[in-house]
Amino acid sequence: MIYLSKSLTKLIGELKKLPGVGEKTALRLALHLLKSPANGTALAESLREVQNSVRFCSTCYAITEDDPCYICSGSRDATAICVVEEPQDLMAIERSGAFKGRYHVLHGALSPLNGVMPGNLRINQLLERLRGGMVKEVLLATNFSVEGEATALYLTKLIKPLGIKLTRLAYGIPLGSDLEYVDTATVQKAVEGRNIL
Amino acid sequence: MRENRCEAVVLAVLDYGEADKIITFFTREHGKIKCIARNAKNSRRRFGGVLELFARLRLQIVLREGLSRLQGADVVTIFPHIREDLSKIGYAGYACELSDRMLPEAQANVRLYRLLVSYLEQLDSFPCSADDRRFFEVNLLNVTGYRPALEICPNCGAELVSAPLLRYLPTQSGISCGCCRQAGREISPLTVSLLNAALQSGRFGAIRFPGTLLDEAGGILDSIIASHLNRPLHSLSFLQEALLVEGY
Repeated sequence: MIYLSKSLTKLIGELKKLPGVGEKTALRLALHLLKSPANGTALAESLREVQNSVRFCSTCYAITEDDPCYICSGSRDATAICVVEEPQDLMAIERSGAFKGRYHVLHGALSPLNGVMPGNLRINQLLERLRGGMVKEVLLATNFSVEGEATALYLTKLIKPLGIKLTRLAYGIPLGSDLEYVDTATVQKAVEGRNIL
Repeated sequence: MRENRCEAVVLAVLDYGEADKIITFFTREHGKIKCIARNAKNSRRRFGGVLELFARLRLQIVLREGLSRLQGADVVTIFPHIREDLSKIGYAGYACELSDRMLPEAQANVRLYRLLVSYLEQLDSFPCSADDRRFFEVNLLNVTGYRPALEICPNCGAELVSAPLLRYLPTQSGISCGCCRQAGREISPLTVSLLNAALQSGRFGAIRFPGTLLDEAGGILDSIIASHLNRPLHSLSFLQEALLVEGY
């Protein structure tokens, strides 16, 4: 598409690189920023600030401004580590408030077909933390996809010999859902993992 | 647009945009097709966690040239026991990627579909073994038309299984008797006879390759498969890593 201004075309080109943003959405966003310069300036400042200050924690590899992050440097239980695939998974568990330990972000999951191998993930860094001898429990909170399961199985093989208690997130029926609409695989897993009352 | 119903195995899944997925299916009725599943990440009711690698599904699709549209999917099985074992995930991923790469688009191949489903069922029900992988490979080469000549020497016409020595040279018409060829890897007639038996038995678990014969059969099949692929399979490195960590 041809636009009247070179800089506008450049901005649209940059916005189009964002996930889920196509040509039309990029044009709409660019025109909106053009109409309200204050918003545009604030957005530019925020982007600059984020790029300058946000990094990965050198201990758990979560997104942070201070290294180590507030979870690793605080008074959280250092004997339990929850292993997640991505920083957004850490945020989901933190929102629940159910886990009081620390985290380790792998930044991906093993993928047989996409060529994501152990060397592409932060697995060695996790093992280094575990060899420190402080950790008593590792909670594997990778996704319940084939990739997530493969990662959990791989980690199990590596961590088991260290004599650390290994746990996995439970499968289950989502709260408030009707059993008849839940997929059979989830129902099967929920029945297998039933609890004694 | 008319909706089609068919049965399929998921060969590959690719996230697309915010919530869509592009899935490569191997359908029994239409062969390999690519489908877009709109809003697949959010719609638990339509796709409810079933669009998973090597799951066997019943699909409702609108067939189109290029990218078809997935309307709905019901699970036949997700092969739950494969997902509980790293080596089995490795073998199943390898079988899916190999089928994906060897199949042309939109050409039904019911024999290969049955072979892939049988292999996944075998992996789901029994401990995984390298023999089953070789059984799958030789049968896949057979049904896709890439099988090497295993009966007679292509040069002199002698029966291979009764020759005292055989040689295999990947670049020259496969396996020959030792009288016709001096170069190439030496292989035992028993290996060829077992590969023939694997083609005729039609049942996983029926053929076992003892020790060195398994290595020989593996060497032949690996080089034939590699010669038909333009780049190595990702899943093969994963399988090797999985077998290593499992202590095989």
